[in-house]
Order: sequence, then C-alpha cells, then structure tokens
Amino acid sequence: MGINWKELADNAKSRSDIYGLMSTVFREEPSGGLIKEMRSSRLSEIFTDLGVELGERFYTNPESKVVEELAIEYTRLFIGPGPHISAHESIFCEMDGDTGGLWGVKTVEVKKFIETTGLDYGKEFTGLPDHISVELEFMQKLAEWETDMWLQQDRKRAEHCLTVQRKFLEQHLFCWVNQFCDAVMNEAEIPFYRAMAELSKQYMEFERQSIAIDTAA
Amino acid sequence: MKKLNRRNFMKLAAGGGSALAAGLGFSQGALAGSIKLQEGGRDFSPTTKKELQAIPTACWQCVTRDAMMGYVEDGRLVKLEGHPDSIRTLGKLCAKGQAGVNHVYFPDRILYPMLRVGKRGEHKWKRVSWDEALDLMASKLKPLLDAGTPELFMYQYGRHKGSQSSIMHDFMDAFGSHTIGTHTSVCEGPKWVGQESLWGGMYDNWDYDHTDFVVNFGSNQFETHTNHIPTSQRLISAMVDRNVPLYTFDVRLSNTAAKSTEWIPINVGMDGLVMLSMVNVIMNEKLFRKDHLKYMRVSPDYHASDDEKIAAIKEHVAKFTPEFAEKESGVPADKIKQIARGYAKAKSACLIGYRGTVMHFHGADQERAAMLLSAITNNLDRKGGRVMGVGAGWKAPHSPKAKLQKGLDIVNGFPGEAAFPTHQVSQQNLPMIKDGQNGRPKVYWSSCNNQAFINGNNKEAEAVLKDESLIPFYVNSNIVYDETSQYADLILPDVTYLERWDTEDMVSPTGVAEFYIRQPLIKPLGESRDQGEIFAGLAKRLGIELAYTTKEEYVRQSCEMTPGVREAGGFEYMKKHGVWHDKNAKPNFGFYEAKVDVSGDGVILDEKTGVYWNYKKAGVSEAEASSKGYLGVEGAKDAYVAQNIEGTPRKAYPPNTSFLKSGLLDFYSDNFAAKGFPPFPTYTPIPEHQKMGKDDLHLTTYKVAVHTHSRTAHCKWLSEIKHDNPAWINSKTAADRGIKEGDRIKVASDLGEITTTAHVTEGIIPGIIAISHHFGRQHSGIYGSGKSSPTPGGATADPDAKNMWWDKHGTHPNSIIPNSSDPISGGQRWMDTVVRVAKA
Amino acid sequence: MSDQKQPEISRRKFLGGVGTVAVGAAALATPTVNLEAAQSKAPRWAMVMDLRRCIGCRACTVACKSENRVSLGRFRAVIQEKTMGTFPNTKKVFLPLMCNHCEGNKEDGVPPCVKACPEFPGERAKFKTADGKTIRYRVGATYKRPDGMILIDKEKCIGCGKCIDACPYGVRSFDPFVKAGGDTTKQAADKCDMCAHRVDNGVEPSCVNTCQGRARIFGDLNDPNSHVSELVKEHNLATPDNVLLAEEGTNPHVFYIDPNNILKTLYTQRKKGKLDHFVDQIV
Repeated sequence: MGINWKELADNAKSRSDIYGLMSTVFREEPSGGLIKEMRSSRLSEIFTDLGVELGERFYTNPESKVVEELAIEYTRLFIGPGPHISAHESIFCEMDGDTGGLWGVKTVEVKKFIETTGLDYGKEFTGLPDHISVELEFMQKLAEWETDMWLQQDRKRAEHCLTVQRKFLEQHLFCWVNQFCDAVMNEAEIPFYRAMAELSKQYMEFERQSIAIDTAA
Repeated sequence: MKKLNRRNFMKLAAGGGSALAAGLGFSQGALAGSIKLQEGGRDFSPTTKKELQAIPTACWQCVTRDAMMGYVEDGRLVKLEGHPDSIRTLGKLCAKGQAGVNHVYFPDRILYPMLRVGKRGEHKWKRVSWDEALDLMASKLKPLLDAGTPELFMYQYGRHKGSQSSIMHDFMDAFGSHTIGTHTSVCEGPKWVGQESLWGGMYDNWDYDHTDFVVNFGSNQFETHTNHIPTSQRLISAMVDRNVPLYTFDVRLSNTAAKSTEWIPINVGMDGLVMLSMVNVIMNEKLFRKDHLKYMRVSPDYHASDDEKIAAIKEHVAKFTPEFAEKESGVPADKIKQIARGYAKAKSACLIGYRGTVMHFHGADQERAAMLLSAITNNLDRKGGRVMGVGAGWKAPHSPKAKLQKGLDIVNGFPGEAAFPTHQVSQQNLPMIKDGQNGRPKVYWSSCNNQAFINGNNKEAEAVLKDESLIPFYVNSNIVYDETSQYADLILPDVTYLERWDTEDMVSPTGVAEFYIRQPLIKPLGESRDQGEIFAGLAKRLGIELAYTTKEEYVRQSCEMTPGVREAGGFEYMKKHGVWHDKNAKPNFGFYEAKVDVSGDGVILDEKTGVYWNYKKAGVSEAEASSKGYLGVEGAKDAYVAQNIEGTPRKAYPPNTSFLKSGLLDFYSDNFAAKGFPPFPTYTPIPEHQKMGKDDLHLTTYKVAVHTHSRTAHCKWLSEIKHDNPAWINSKTAADRGIKEGDRIKVASDLGEITTTAHVTEGIIPGIIAISHHFGRQHSGIYGSGKSSPTPGGATADPDAKNMWWDKHGTHPNSIIPNSSDPISGGQRWMDTVVRVAKA
Repeated sequence: MSDQKQPEISRRKFLGGVGTVAVGAAALATPTVNLEAAQSKAPRWAMVMDLRRCIGCRACTVACKSENRVSLGRFRAVIQEKTMGTFPNTKKVFLPLMCNHCEGNKEDGVPPCVKACPEFPGERAKFKTADGKTIRYRVGATYKRPDGMILIDKEKCIGCGKCIDACPYGVRSFDPFVKAGGDTTKQAADKCDMCAHRVDNGVEPSCVNTCQGRARIFGDLNDPNSHVSELVKEHNLATPDNVLLAEEGTNPHVFYIDPNNILKTLYTQRKKGKLDHFVDQIV
C-alpha cells in the first residue's frame, strides 16, 4: 500500500491549525476580529456540533461588549492582580530540585527546546518562554513543518518532526495542560474560556492517543 | 461537550485554520524564524550544570543598598551575595538581601499595565498595552500643562534613591511640578532635622573600626538600620575583637540590646533626658574635652570664650541631674553616671540612636542632645566617633527645566504643623488632599510607597485613595498588588531592582565614598518597565525634551560625567566591577578643621557671626552686605565660605540645608528660638504622656531583622521566618490584666481598636506594648497575606506554595496610631501613642 | 584535648574488632580532632561557630534557602533563640544549627545517619586529594566522604527516612521537590552538605559567605594553619562542652565558641520523631 502523502499532510495541517486556534485563544485578550470569526456561521456551527457552549451572550451581545468582557475575564483569569492562573509550565510542573515560581527550571527547558529547533522568540514578545500559548504555537509550527515535509514526500524528515512533537508533548505540554485546563474550567466566570479549556483538554487527550497511533503506523 | 473523534476533529481543524488564515489571530507570534531541524537535533535535554554568570549590582531591599553580586543561570536569577570588593559591605549581605530573588519570581507579581474597569477597590482589571497606558496618562497630564497648572500633577515616592530619585526629579522639573511627596517623615525625619540645625547637613554614621566605647539609644543596629550591613558588622567585630563595650538603652530587648554588654531598660521618650543627664555628669565631673568647643555655639554670643561656653552648658543642663533623670526614665542614677564616665573617658566613643530616640514629640531636639553628647567629648567627626557619613557625589545629565515651575503646598503638613519640615510631613499628604484647603492634585502617581499601609491612621489614607472626588486620576507603579494599588485607576508594572539600572551612593562609615551601580541581572519579566523609561515615554507624548531616552543611557552618562569614575573607565568599568572608590582618598574625619582661602573676590567677614561669605555670590552690594550682615541677607547662607575659628578661616559646618546658620554647631539655635522652641537641647515632656491614666499603656512599633516595613511580605523565605506579630507585653503588665501568653487581646487608642495576640515576655519594660509593623497585610500575594488563591492553577500553583505551612499573618497596628507630627520637624510620632489593653 | 596527638585511623582499626567493648561514656563522647594530618592529605572540613559574634540576623538561614533552593517548611540551617531571666535582668541568646558532619564513633567511624542507610555500604568510590593521591571509600545513599562531608546521593536514596530518624540532631528532612532515585514513589532525604558544590570549587559555603558577624568559620582541620584549626586550639574546642550532644558519641565537626554556655542553656533538642525544633522562627 502506497503512502497517501496528501492525507498525511492534511492531517498535520489540521493539527497545526487547531494548535494555532488554541494558542490564539490563550495568548491574549481576543481581538474583535477573532470574535467575529468565532461567531461566524462556519465556526459557530462546528462549535454547536461539538457541544462547545460559548454562551448565549457571546453570540448576541455587540462585538465591542464581548471584547471588553473577555478582556476583563482574561485579565482576571490569567493576569491578576490577585488570585489568577499563571499560565506557565514552571508554575504548574514540579521539577526535581526546583522550588518553582516564574522562570523556573521548566521555563529554561522549554526555551532551550524551542531554540534548539532553530526558532527564536520574537523581539516583540514580552511574555515568558513557557507560556501556554507559546507551547501551543510551537506545536503549531512543528506540525506545519511536518505538513511541508509530507508534501515534499520526505518521509524521514516528517517522521523526525513527529518524534520531536511527541517529545515536546511528553516532556512538556502533557505534563500540565490538563491541570491548566481544569483550573480554567473551575475558575472561568463566563462560558468562553471554560468552553475553550474544555475543548483544549479534549483535544490534547485526542492528541495523546492519536500521536501514539501515528508513530506506530 | 461531546467526545472528539477523528471526524469532528477534522471539522474543527478546518474552522480553526480558517480563523487563522483570515489573519485574525494574534498580531504577532511569539516565535520567530523557521525550523531548521538537523539530524543531530534529537537531544533536547537541557544541561543546567555550568558555572553561573556573575554580575555586580546593588541591593535595594532597604536604603542601605549594599553593593552585591547576582548569579544567573540560563537567564534566570538564582542567587545574590555581597560584593567582595565593596569597602562598605566587605562582601556581606543580610537576610532580606538574600531573599531578593523572591521579588522576581513570585507568582503574584504584576507583569502588565492594568486599567481599572470596576469601581475603585472592586478589584476588576483589564490588561492594556504600554501605549494605551502612556497615552492615557499623557491625556491626563497634557491639559495640566496647557492650563499652566503643572503643580496639579503629584508624584509620591517612598524608596527612591540614587539615580531612581534624581531621574524622577529631573522629569518633574522638566514638567514643572514641585508637588512631590516623600516618606522620610514617617521614617526618621526628626533625626535629620536635628542634625541639620547643627551640622548644616546630615547622616550620622559611626567609626566602629576605631572606637573604644559605644552608647546606643533606641537603635536596633544589629537587626535594622539605614546603613545596616556596613555598620553592624563593624560593631560586632569591634566588640569581639577589641572588647569594645556597647550599652543599649531601649524599651525592648531587641537583638541589639541582647548582644549588648548591657541592656538598660528606659521609659518611653526619655532618651534625650538621659543624654542630658550624661552631659550633666560629664560637665560637673570635668570629663569633657575642650577641643570641639571652638566649633560650638551654646549661647546667643557667637564669640564666647571656652570658659563662658563651659559655664553656659553647665547651666543649661544643671536641672537634668542623674537623680532627676532616674525619676522620669527609670534608669538608675548610678548607671547613668557609670556610663557617662566610661563614655567620656574612652579614647574615642560613639553615641548612636535612631527611631527610639527621635520618633517622638520634639524628637528633633532629642537628636540635638545626642549631638551635644558627642561634641563635648570631642567625638564628633573624629576617628572612632560619630561622623557625618560620606556618600558618592554622582553627576547626572539634566534635561531642560520647564519655564513654569509650581507646586502645591500639601507636602509640608497643615499650616503651623511643623516649624522645619525639611524632610516634609508625608503622613499628612493624603489628609491634606482630603482637606483640600491648599488644593488637590488632579493626577496622582505613586511609586514604591504604600501610603495606605505605612502611615498612621492608614484607614483614612485608604478612604482618600478610594474617593474619586478627591483624587480624580491615580496611577500606581508596583510589582505587587497591595493596600494602595488596589485603589489605582492604572497600575504600571514596575521592574524589580534586580532588573534595572541605577547609580548608587549610600554613605560609607569609613569616611571614604563608594561609587557603585545597579545593573539588570536579567531581562525585565513580562512587560515590567523602569520608571526612567516611563518618564521618557511620557515626555515624548507631552513634547517634553529629556536628556536621555533610557535609564541605561542616564546611568552611562552619569558614569562618563563623574570625576574619578570617568577616569577609571566610566560606564564599561562600572558594568564590569560594580564598585569604585578613590584609592588615594583619606577618611573625611576632621573635615571641619580644613583651612579655607578667603582671599577670593567678594569674600568678607561678618563680624557678628564670624562667617566669611561672598556677598557677590549672594547678589548684593558691598554696602548692603555690611549693613544687613550675613544673617540679614537672603541667600547669604548659600554664599558661605568659612568660619573664623580663633583667627583662622576654617570650613567648619557650612549651612547646606534650609537652616540659616553660621559655620558653628548651633547648639544654641536662633532658628529654634524664633519659632518658640527651646534654643538649647532640653527635656520636653510628651503631652500625651502627662495625661496617662493608671491603666494606660504606651504603644511602640519596631522592625525585625528579616523584613522591611512594607515591601517584603511576598518574599517567601522571609515570611516563613517571620509572619506574625504578637504584641510584646511584660509579664507584670500582663498579669495585672489577666493576660497569658498567646491570649487574644484588644488594644485600643483614641483612634480605634485592634485585636491581636499577646506575647508575654521579660524582654520589655512594664507599662508598654510593642508591635512590629510589617504584618496584617490585606494583599501582598499569598505569602504576605495568606489569601489563598481560590484558583487551583493560580497564584498558589507556585509548587512551593503547597509547602506554605503558616496561617497567621499578623495585625497591623497603624490603624490605631494617629498621624501626629513633631512640631519641630514634622516627623510622625510613632512612639507617643497611648493605649488601653485588655483581654479580648 | 586539642594537643592530644592520636593517630585516629590506626586507633579506629585497633578498636574496630572490639565491638561492644565497654569504654567510659566520657571517653566516647570526647570529640576527636586530628590536627596533625598524619594519615591522609584529604582535608577534614569543619565549621566553627563563634557564638559571641552571632547577632541572630538570619542571613545564614536565608542564604542557605537561596543557595540550595530549599523548599518551604524545612531548613538546612536555622537559628534557635531564647529569652531567659527575669526583667530587668533579661537575656536573649542565639544558637546557629546545621548538620554536624559527624565523624562517627571511634569504633567504626560511621555516623548514625550513615549507619542507618540501607544503601550503605555500597560501591567503592575514589576521592582524589589535592596532591593527586587517591583515597578509596564506600558510598551509600548517605555516606561520609574522606574529607569529612556527610553527603546524600539522591539518585541512590530510596526515601526510607531511616537517616532522618537516626540523626540525633534532627537536621534531615524529605525534599518535596526531589524524588528518591532508588524509589521514585518516595521523596529523597535532604540536609546541609556544607555547600559541597561550592567547596569543591574552592568557594566557601553560602552561610559563611553571608555571615556579617563572621560567626561562621569554615575550613580544614587537617591543615594546622587554617583558621578553624587555630580556633580549635586557641579556644580548646575539642571538648564535650563545645559540640552538641557529645554524649551521643557522634563526634560532631561543628564546634562552638561558647563562653556564655549557650549550648547548655538554649539548645532545644529534637523530640522523638519530630523536626519542629529545626524551624527558624522569630517571635
């Protein structure tokens, strides 16, 4: 049986796009454009189909109001001041010999991991290297690169890329993404982030299974 | 939500991709460049075992500001230590300094500009970009410039020193507002005012390296001091290596008292009286030394002979016999005599004191008594004695000043409150804004100053901050959410001191100045930004020209401008070495004896005072100069040249502050007399203490070794050691009230009541309770306030927070201490409060 | 005691086979210090605590936390303080505590914590001395290095906690952030290691570095010219009165200059099975 390069590429591209969506959602307060897109029939139907409940008001309130509400919710959930979810791996993951806190041993590991692949942190990026959105964006980029390799019918490099993805997931994202999503689901006051966290959690679970299958294939 | 499967996952992917394809994701990705995976790129395990990078910098936990080394591993600050080449610190750092690492990485840290979206105090915030934040500030500040009311912009700072202070003053001058509030009057203001009235300058340190005898009034030298590490290590070394005795007068057995040769318990507010009775003993037993008399003025006569001066001092202190002092202070007369004799006979001796002496009614006058005791034994500015500390004289770039310079008269207390508020009356800043009689700022910006915690009657401060009709726009620069920032309209994420540039200048007890800098050990976390950069960002928006665009550039210019540092290699040298001092410099002991050339154009001798001054520099004609005299010409003190000391013009003690004086130590002060205060150091009973009932107690506050007043509660390693502040109470006092160790007690003043816990101890005098003032935080992160985050992945997700084992966070005493000022200096009278204590 | 010249190792050999021979308790309790360096060129690291100089500032406590990234709830170094007497004759004293890096009793030279370690004696290891000689010794999860440091190999540790119970000073605890390498369901034991990572690179321990009173003096007892050797001689520190719990026969190598008898009046021992005496607290 010959290799279906197109299907493998599409699959990788899909994964890349989902990581991209999740990264966008957790990176910062949603823009008006993103809200508009997420309320569009295309996505809203998929969300409905998946049972992703973004809440009545998400669809009915004026866009500017949704943006404002979500900005406040995002700040309350992820920025502070006061109790908040610090969306960084070093905060969630225990590491032998490290007593935790921002810019921990895990932060350094993530930064090195990412930089070893030839990527750099953008000059304009002011967050910490192990922010949830960075790790998701890294996966997005890896899967995107994998897509290219499949399209070039370079099986060796594509599989190598998958190995890198699997390593990153196992060493980093899988270690904390569930806890992170649970925390968001518990603390969210309006449905948007709760739904997004649930979606992310489910997706990561799906990844956990499927990436193992992919590798076995 | 439904379970994902391959089919619907592909659908979601299509949707997700479309959202991204439409370019509606984040404006800028976090990652740049493209993946270049290589065959060898499979080993990703980071290696962390390597030699740490060492960077010299400076501490900022307290005003001591030790030069230190920061150690960095993989861009992460892991350790701080003293700077081995510092002539001030000799490579040492205190517990607070060691815990500086905690400031950077605690999970509650504020990392982004935050705009208030709910009501003040509702804790609802929205993150905004720096552009939005600065645009908003500029939109509030610009109208003030346009309306010619720059003074309606008020800047309030606490711990700003070195270039952090000078760059702020430069910006405020460029803006044109003199409405700048400080915090010194809640700290030690009366001490400086007392010294300035004599020395013409301030900042006493002590030459422990050469002293033979130390007497301490109310200074907790071994735990907390404004020049802690440089002085305290030298004191303990002197004690052990050279058997130097240390006698400590204190109401409480502080660690300093505990390590002293002897702790002498003393009643509250009696330090000055005991000092004067020591003067009495020394004068009557002829133990004084005449050497310094020629630099002292002890009566209205500027030209009195030594004998006349001796007679005058004797007469002034005649009534302060040791027996009289014993009655008031509780210190046995024999003990006073013993210590007075030992002190006077020692080859050299240090008289030290701090808040215990000065944070009282007429506290500034008590400091004058300390100076008198030093001067009559020739221990002032001499080797082994009390010396004027010498700090680094940095040059700094200056921006053009605004043409219009105005200030609101709200920083020096209410009319008539303080006669010489040379260090302001900061505890009344917010009460004066509430009062409104001298106007109110429209834009109020505070930095490193937790007004709603550190002042007396702090609940009132909180109410003022909360009231938008009193403060229409309030900006707070901070690293942690605290009692004050909770009421801000805009919170700006400050950098920690481990992430910024500064020139530093804290005094050296060795008599030789140390120049040192602070440099970033790591990149500022998140979007935190230094005040200097914020000033530059505002200036750009307001069309104001500044002499720098970044703090680094400001510091670089300072290094290239400052003589000595410049020749040593300037900025590059300082970045590499951190510290510099002139190897050929001699200690400044005896500086007042320096002969001065008075042959310059315009220099004349004022016969009345013996001052040589330059009338041309003062801008008056020779005729006016001689008719009005030195004391009669405004600005003449700035044209001071020398003092005629027995026929020789000498530097003496130039009037470097607002006090108009000759070059003599003004122990007889016309300034004081003119304002109705005792012109010679004396004992003035504290009014509240004269009216105390039988059951009333004194309340005093204090600091411990492991915390600053309000900026370290979130440092977990410090709060682990000290997080609660039970009220110290003597066993007798406690027994009278049926109070036992650990009992809950009520402490009530005329202002209000708090409930706290009793610590029954033999380490405090009867009739008083003492409460350390660091605790009882409303906010300050999980480690400071114990506010357990309800968020499982939130602030408590610092893995170490799981190990946080203490659940007590203390009680803040300031809500029952009124804002009440020393009428001489404006210093907050922390130690004069009268309370009633009972079991809760 | 300080001028007693005893060839320690040969004596140990001599006593080695004697087993439970009844030796007078006082003789056992007397700390043994070999100031002659007769047997090996390995250093013998030791700490002298000059209690006259300790001002209770806690810089050591925090420096240790920072240097060794010690989690909350436990310490590698603490200060005990106590207020004594009746007003106005009240005194307050400070006592710095850490691992005593015991030499062990004279029969076998194995401290109780090492003896309790199920992984000891394990494989042989080599210790290279400054002059290039090799000293062989046995390691365990807890073991004594030839330079006197009692160290923990967390990779070997099985998290059984026996060493924690065995230490009469109660200076050991489980590190909640490091898993025991020998049993990853458990946490590894942890305690002061004299900052071996610094000392091995020629740098003083962190607590010594930061001590403003210079109350902590660290050095090599096998070097007769070291500051610690001089202090041990000058103040006659190798006596039961200048170490903690001499009666345990552990032969501690943290010596206290203690003219005011603080060890006897202040030291709070661990209560059986508890470690709350080893938490640094300021009232």
